[in-house]
Amino acid sequence: MATALNALFEILSFTSIMVLIVLGLGIIASMMGIFNFAHGEFVLLGAYFTWLGHAHGAPVWLAMALAPFAVGLIGFVLERLVIRRFYDRPVMAMLGTYALAVVIRETVRGLIGGLYLNVPAPLVGSLSLGGLEFAQWRLAIIAITLLVILCSWTLLAMTSFGLRVRASLENPALARASGISTKAIYAITFTFGAALAGLAGALVVPIFSLFADLGLRFLIQGFLGVMLGGVGSFVGPILGAGVVGSASAALPWVISPVVADVLVFVAAIGVMKLLPNGILAGRRV
Amino acid sequence: MSAAVATGTGSWVIPGRTAHAAEPIRVGIATDLTGAIGFAGNSDLNVAKMCADIINKGGGLLGRPVQLYVEDTASNEAVAVGNVRKLIQRDHVDVVLGGITSSMRNAIKGTIVSRGHTLYIYPQLYEGQECEEYIYCTGPTPAQQCDDLIPWLITHGGKRFALPSANYIWPHLLNAYARKSVEKHGGEVIFEEYYPLDQIDYGATVNRIMSDKVDVVFNTVIPPGVGPFFKQLYEAGFLKRGGRLCCVYYDENDLNINASHEIEGLASCLDYFRAVDALDPASARIQQMYDGMFAGNKYLMAAGSAATGMYRGMMLWAAAVKEAGRLDRDAVAHALDHAKIAEGPGGPAEMVPGKRHCRMRMYIATAKNGQFQIEAKSNGLVDPQEC
Repeated sequence: MATALNALFEILSFTSIMVLIVLGLGIIASMMGIFNFAHGEFVLLGAYFTWLGHAHGAPVWLAMALAPFAVGLIGFVLERLVIRRFYDRPVMAMLGTYALAVVIRETVRGLIGGLYLNVPAPLVGSLSLGGLEFAQWRLAIIAITLLVILCSWTLLAMTSFGLRVRASLENPALARASGISTKAIYAITFTFGAALAGLAGALVVPIFSLFADLGLRFLIQGFLGVMLGGVGSFVGPILGAGVVGSASAALPWVISPVVADVLVFVAAIGVMKLLPNGILAGRRV
Repeated sequence: MSAAVATGTGSWVIPGRTAHAAEPIRVGIATDLTGAIGFAGNSDLNVAKMCADIINKGGGLLGRPVQLYVEDTASNEAVAVGNVRKLIQRDHVDVVLGGITSSMRNAIKGTIVSRGHTLYIYPQLYEGQECEEYIYCTGPTPAQQCDDLIPWLITHGGKRFALPSANYIWPHLLNAYARKSVEKHGGEVIFEEYYPLDQIDYGATVNRIMSDKVDVVFNTVIPPGVGPFFKQLYEAGFLKRGGRLCCVYYDENDLNINASHEIEGLASCLDYFRAVDALDPASARIQQMYDGMFAGNKYLMAAGSAATGMYRGMMLWAAAVKEAGRLDRDAVAHALDHAKIAEGPGGPAEMVPGKRHCRMRMYIATAKNGQFQIEAKSNGLVDPQEC
């Protein structure tokens, strides 16, 4: 029983980290049709700015709160300078964002000397419940992830801004004819997606420590989540990330971890064969 | 420090500065200056520069200065082979030192030794079993890292061992040696498990360690997984209930991966720690020289980065050249086979004749509040027991 509860907590914790990281990736892929290969590096930047702020004496929670804004700003500048040239060329977009990723990753590697650096969590210690220990920061991440999903969903599904974002995706020409500035909408959406990545990086850096390949580690599983859930909706990628995250956290409890790693991908390919457009194909928001 | 002159993409020459007008001796340094383990490669290059400086200030070798030819192996075997070929074919170096991972050593050794007819010195701690002629290993082997450490862990931790490991060659072979040693000294291996190299969630493993009442976690999980793994162990209460962490590649660089309280008491066994400086004046002098030459540089002279193996490699080779009195490969190899140095980081060192591995002093240290503290020192030089 204790083991089962413990397992459940660990799986839930890793799943929410996965979802948090995929959120921005999913929004940019679904709402803009761009597969952003630099997403992992936006996560890395969020982690880096948190470390940087903390290293310069800021309280770690403040550094975490500011990091998404810094990454959002970088996202905005990159959208204006680079990404906007790729909107009608998705393959070029992959290569272009991949190149950006390499530049960001290697720059950060240079800045931190290729080392692994520790960032403390704002909440230290564990919560003891019935002889089980639950790390407080992991509990906080689960709560924050739920909150962020709720806010993002409200923004996209319930507000007129969200409507305009979705309109720009479905029919850009008609949206422009209706007086929506798709240019501004794309810039804001990309900035928002980048800021979400920055937030994810800021929140997970106390768990994984800061290192140059932090974002790369999640990129492949992140894309797998997006493909599995289905591009084109907000909920799809979240669902996909949830499935990938919980499968890769749960399988090592029952089978050899090396086999589990491969099995997650095999299972995902199987599902995509049966549901080529993802679990939530064709539905919006 | 001498100025470096770029000689092509990823290539540099660092001229030796002496009063001699003689043609310099060419030393090839092939190490990972960029990419994932660039932090280690840069330390190695720093140490090589320092050694060249020491040799040249002492009048060079055979009346000639030493000049470093540097190639970046870029943490990438495919790039490395081409760059190392430049050292051999274009620069005609007399010896190559470098390579950090075993996969890198295996990728470049053919180019250097069999096709290049050049001596190769490999400086990193590793899993052993590199017994090819003309390849000399100056880092610690499993025997050197385990022989004193395992009994110490049983006394200062307990008998129930877990061996969580990254799934590649070094952990497999090190564990095979460690397991034998654990069983020989009355301990027991509760589980030995392998994980993908990039796994960063260890919930299942931590649970098993806690519920199976493991006393000692003999870890060979590597970064990036090791940080989250130790953190999860700490959060589950492993240290609180008296558990002992152990990780034999851990040096001063790795202490920053976790908050110090998460790895309090972590035991490591290496040929040098900074704390050795208090015990060995020669080590302190070398460390001081390094800090002076590379002040403000973020790359540490740390044993897990192969930096100390690089020092031994350079100096043992220099001793061999002096004894041989010439540079041809067989003459130097013959002298290197029994070369000795009286001092180095951690203490003296000597090659084991016929084995092409190095006897050295070993230290057991534990992490105390973010610093390593020496717990035990080997009796004299420890045998590598290879080949």
